[in-house]
Order: sequence, then C-alpha cells, then structure tokens
Amino acid sequence: MLAIEAHGLRRTYTSRTGWLRPRRTTTEAVRGVSFEVASGELFGLLGPNGAGKTTTIKMLNTLLLPTSGTARVFGHDVVRDPVAVRRRIGYVFGGDRGLYERLSALDNLRYFAELYEVEPCEQRRRIAELLELVGLDGRERERVEGYSRGMRQRLHIARGLLHRPDVLFLDEPSIGVDPVAARDLRRTVADLADAGTTVVLTTHYMAEADELCDRIAVIAGGEIRALGTPGALKARVQERDVLEVEARGVSETELDRVRALPGVRDAAVDDRGSVQLLTVQSDRGTELHARVLAALDGVRLGRVTTREPTLEDAYVAIVAEAERATAGSVGSAAASTEVPA
Amino acid sequence: MRQLVRTARLVVIGGGISYRALFNWTTPSMFIGTLLVGPVLQLLFFVYLGRQLHVADDRFYVLGNAVLASSTACVYGGTMAVANERRYGTLGAVLLSPRRRAPLWFGRALPYVLNGLLVSGFTLAVAALVLGLPVPADSVPQIAAVLVAAAAACSAFGLALGALGLRFRDVFLVSNVAASVLLLLTGANVPRATLPPWMQAVGEALPLTHAAAAARRAAAGQGLDTGLLGAELAVGAGYLVLAVLLLSLFERGSRRRATLDVL
Repeated sequence: MLAIEAHGLRRTYTSRTGWLRPRRTTTEAVRGVSFEVASGELFGLLGPNGAGKTTTIKMLNTLLLPTSGTARVFGHDVVRDPVAVRRRIGYVFGGDRGLYERLSALDNLRYFAELYEVEPCEQRRRIAELLELVGLDGRERERVEGYSRGMRQRLHIARGLLHRPDVLFLDEPSIGVDPVAARDLRRTVADLADAGTTVVLTTHYMAEADELCDRIAVIAGGEIRALGTPGALKARVQERDVLEVEARGVSETELDRVRALPGVRDAAVDDRGSVQLLTVQSDRGTELHARVLAALDGVRLGRVTTREPTLEDAYVAIVAEAERATAGSVGSAAASTEVPA
Repeated sequence: MRQLVRTARLVVIGGGISYRALFNWTTPSMFIGTLLVGPVLQLLFFVYLGRQLHVADDRFYVLGNAVLASSTACVYGGTMAVANERRYGTLGAVLLSPRRRAPLWFGRALPYVLNGLLVSGFTLAVAALVLGLPVPADSVPQIAAVLVAAAAACSAFGLALGALGLRFRDVFLVSNVAASVLLLLTGANVPRATLPPWMQAVGEALPLTHAAAAARRAAAGQGLDTGLLGAELAVGAGYLVLAVLLLSLFERGSRRRATLDVL
C-alpha cells in the first residue's frame, strides 16, 4: 500500500487588510501538486522559501484543508478521516519553537505521550528509549528553556516518534543545527527509514537530501517542477560544467553580463559572510574561464575552480527554470491577486 | 474501561502538566504576589472603602471578594491554557493529537478550579483573621461548596475566553475587560440592587454572581442555598459547553481558513 497519495492538491490563502478600504488578497500557495510516496520510502521535498513545501505538508498532516484535490495517508483521506491520519503520522518541526519551555524534556514527552495515545504501561519505557535514541538521556529533567537549538531539535524528533508513527514528516529539521548535531540527525533519520518508517523530509540542505532521500520532488511557485531520484535529478545537469568564483562586490550588473555570455546556462551568487560565491553553469566543454573573469572586470576575485555538477546545481537549475517560466507574475513565490473586499 | 482510564489520564495528568507548562504565574514570586497578596489587598481596599461610604458591612465585602478572588487564577489561567499554545508555538503539535477535544480542554480547566479554590480559601481566611470576622464553623462546608462552584464556573468562563485566543491574537485584552466586568457586575463589591436592570441581567449570566450571594447567605447562617448553587453550576456548565463549541469551531475554521499560526 502507498504511504502517501496526493492528487491535484491545491491551496489558496485569502487575507484581508485595511478597515476603511479593505482589500482581499488571494495567494495560490500550492497549485495542483501530485505525487506518491511508497511505504518505507524516504521522500524529499525541496524548494525555495514560499515554494509551498510547508503548505503541502500541512495538508498531508491534516492541519490544513486543501482548496481542491485529494490526499490519503495509508488509505485514509486527510479531509474525511483526519483522526485516523493523525494516529499514523508524526510531525517534527524545525526551529526553536514548538516545545513547552518551562517544562523538562521528560515532562514534554510525558504530555505528548498522553496526547498521542501512547499506552500508559508503555510510556515510561518508550520515553526512555527515545531519550537515548536522540542522546538526551541524562539531561531529560532539565527545563527546555536552557536547551541548545540542537537539543531542542532532538527533542522534537523524540516527540514526533513517541507513538511509533508509520509516516514521519520532518520539516526542515536541521535548520540552525551545528554540523555534528546535523550529522547525528541524518543518521537517526536514515535509521528510521531503514526500520521501515516512511519519511517525508523538507530541507534547504542539498547534501542532506542527496545523502538521505530515495526520491526528491522539487517544488517552486506551488508546483512540482521535478521529481525523481537524486541521481536522476543530477543527470539533468550532467551535460553542464560548473565554474565557481570567490568574489567580493558582484552586483546584478556583473551577474547579467555573465548570464549573457554564450554557453552560460545559469549564474547565481551566494553571499557567504564577507565573500560571495559566484556559480556559473555552462554547456559542457564551453571554455568560460577567461570570459567570466573578463565579465567580472573591476570585482575583487579569489579562488576560481571548476567542478562536477551536484544536486545543488540541479536544484538551482530547476528553480531558475521555474522562475523563468513564471517570469512576469511574482517570481518564485506563489501567485497573488489583490482585489477590493 | 481501558478507554475510560485513558480519558481520565488525559484529563488529570494532561491537565496537570499543561498547567505547569502554560500558566505564567507558577513561580513562587508570581503566585504569591499575583494570586495571594493581590486579592487580599483588593479585599481590604473594598472593606475600608465600604466602611467610609457606608454602602455595606464588612461581611458583604469579605465574602464577595473571597468569591471574586478566584477570578484572577481562573479567568487568566483559563485564557493562558489555550492562548499560550500560540505563544510557545505548540498549538500545531496539540491539534495533531488524535484525542477527543472535550476531555483535552476540560483537563486544561481543571487545575484552575483547584487554584481558584485555594486563592479564595486563603483570601477568606486571611480576611477573617485580619478583620476579626469569624466565619461560623457550621458554615464552613457550605461556603467551601460555594467556592468550589464559583471556581469551576469561573474556570469554564476563562476557558471560553481562551478559546477566543484561537481566533484573535489579543485575547488577553478580552480577559482584562472580563475581569473588570466580573468586578462590577457580579455583586461581589457593588450591591446588584444598585445597578441598572440591564447590568443586573448581564450579571445573571456571569460566573460568581450566584456564588457571591450564596456565600453571604451561608456565612449569615441561612444555610446552603441550593438554588443559587445550582444556578452557579449551570452558568459554569454553559460556559464549558460554549468553550468546547468555540474551540471545536475555531479548530475547524483554522483548517479551512489557515487562521492559526500553528507551526
């Protein structure tokens, strides 16, 4: 049986602003998303901020009703049978919030064990097991308000697993977590998937998705733009070369000059503290080195390297393609319309 | 039977843990300052004001304020029991629970009944000692029963206000207004006969109104007025039903309109 079936999921938000001259804004956050996740699969949902990832997950976990379309979790319809869905899913939030700050980790878990129907006779054992799994044993009686972000994240995971869910939704679980904690977290997620739990993971970290996911859907502008194994997604950019240039002071003008070079398929700048990293994707075999450096005339340059395309390059290419396709509307975010209320 | 035990655990254990998680005044300084010292000072204020203005005797204010004392814990506590979920960002995790909502929310209100009772009992005891106003021993069980009913009704009222926290962000503004309304309209400090008819009518539907009257009768040796006690409990039951309905309505509305910042 499929763990998740989503067909034509669509979600529109409506908000009202202003009192004297109220205006109603309609935003299409998710626009006809369809995918299936097999039982035991580790499925990644990638996309830029505002792409519709969290809205999609909220529809699947029953917190939001779809405007149209259907979704089922292990055969249970998320609209008609939300209680049955909730019994089979766990949800792990990313970030600092979502825990009772004044309680200890133990009391947080005791409370959610009651809420998530963990059998009373099993609660103590299950909580101890999970505290050990996430490495919080020994610290469980401390108040959560004194926990680091990594510890909170681990507690989130323990909470999500309390009732042994068949499907675990992980919404950016490694956001703000240090590299060592993130590695532990990846190991935990991989172990869960190995043990047969279906995992739906949203993340901004491509290496994490590449390492963990069996399949990945890239969502942008509320639509799925690509769906496949990490290898298949990477294959989309295999005919490309990637040039990386460390620089300081690259503006849109220089970026546009680089993009206009023959053979360049895409170019993006990532600010990394005081340094920028310019990534240029080009058709394989295009000799770009000198022309890119010329286009960056006047910019302070650092290391220049050429490398094989990664999942991140594939992701950037897919999202850029999606943005171009929706150019003229509202960029990568969901489409909005505003009318007088 | 098994289901019953699980529901009882959700109400009692869940309610107890959520009280510690969500009630802002559980630290000793806040608890003593806000819930114990505050109501006693308020009581003394009205007693001395009443003496000055010759509106009513000490017994009127002592009993009225002892009943009213539970309102701080119950009204604000009931509100915090729901509204603070949004503050901590835990509402999503709670709403993902497959448990039935009525026992979940009912359990949230329960600790505030005990809290309110403790505050009322303390206020009455301190006032009786400080003002030298003995409460007849045979009236104590009757007054205790009235205080339980008052705290229960007031907690249900607080929970109904808290339910508004699922729809409106500034729900504590509503709680502040509600606390003032209780002060004015329940007859705890202002004799209801002096109020305009419409205010008296509103007071009938508020918690504490019937309890304040019942407590005064009991303290005057007139016995337990079961009619007033029943009316107080009926008002409380009404607010409890309203709270559960509102919570259910707003939860369903939140799924439809995405009105909750749940995650």
